[in-house]
Amino acid sequence: MNLQHLLLPLSFSQWCERSLLGHSVKYSRWEFAILETFHIIGITVLLGSTLVVDLRLLGFSMRQISAAQLAREFAPWSWAALSFMFVTGIPMFLSEAVRMSLNSAFLFKMILLCLALLIHFTIRRRATRPGAKENAGFGKLAACLSLMSWLSVALAGRAIAFFMTLNGA
Amino acid sequence: MGLLNERRHREKAQTREQIGGNPKTKMSPLHFVQWLNETPWSVFLRESDWPFAVIETVHILGLGLSVGTIMWVDLRLVGLAMRRHRTSDVISQLEPWAIGGFIVMIISGALLLSAEPLKCYTRLSFRLKVVMLILAGLNFLYFDTRVRPSLTSYDEAVTLPWRARMVGYLSLALWLGIIFCGRWMAYF
Repeated sequence: MNLQHLLLPLSFSQWCERSLLGHSVKYSRWEFAILETFHIIGITVLLGSTLVVDLRLLGFSMRQISAAQLAREFAPWSWAALSFMFVTGIPMFLSEAVRMSLNSAFLFKMILLCLALLIHFTIRRRATRPGAKENAGFGKLAACLSLMSWLSVALAGRAIAFFMTLNGA
Repeated sequence: MGLLNERRHREKAQTREQIGGNPKTKMSPLHFVQWLNETPWSVFLRESDWPFAVIETVHILGLGLSVGTIMWVDLRLVGLAMRRHRTSDVISQLEPWAIGGFIVMIISGALLLSAEPLKCYTRLSFRLKVVMLILAGLNFLYFDTRVRPSLTSYDEAVTLPWRARMVGYLSLALWLGIIFCGRWMAYF
């Protein structure tokens, strides 16, 4: 038994794959490809809305608009993209939960995702609240952390496919 | 490293089978692609684990950077986002990032193509992707020559003239299609 089996017990993973959604995606020729495609479109919108606000916080782009205003205008788009990522990501996980329970890139992605969400809803929210100081060091730090955390989530996500046969999964 | 991708190795095996067949005419495009497929560079990239993975990852990050910024310009053009901001501001501030991301995508995409020329040539999704890339290029050219010069007179307007809106919708649709086909090259 390894660390990941403590976090994600095999019986749970097997139950996931037997579930209606997981089973359907696992044995369909098209469903996984469709979900994966929409997952990528979701990350493009999510990265796009995060990136532009972070570039503004760093003072590299959109200087005519305040970071707080940009963040407020982009919020519905980031929320929509984030929910879209969960809606497409969860069925993909269900369809290969047993393999994911052995995939270290997947474990890293989940840890990084929690970290990215934490940064997004604490430090970055503070840096983009109305009336936040323009071009402050804190804003730049928040932007760097936000960019790095979301990029690492994307990198770890891409790496899942490269770690597929590790541990014989 | 020992980190192997089951799916990709299965694809490699399929590609090797395809090479086995002799082309009917010597100068056919297929013959050229088959020759390209067997160049040492192509074989090296295709059969490597890490260089291919790194290039593919860079390609996705370039996608996030370019389409992630292009979409805001398009959404401003069609009037779905950033409506209260001047169109010229949105375009001038985001264009350098979009171009930067596009260059990253073209370079990494050319490397990916050089790694798997035969697979790309034989896939319908790749052909569709190339057609849509050309259309996106023409759409940008139209924007640059016909729409951009007249934008200054509508800079503050929430609803832009139909030409500008059409360019925005076309660009959004084409990039969605390009992402779709790009992802589907792994399958179909």
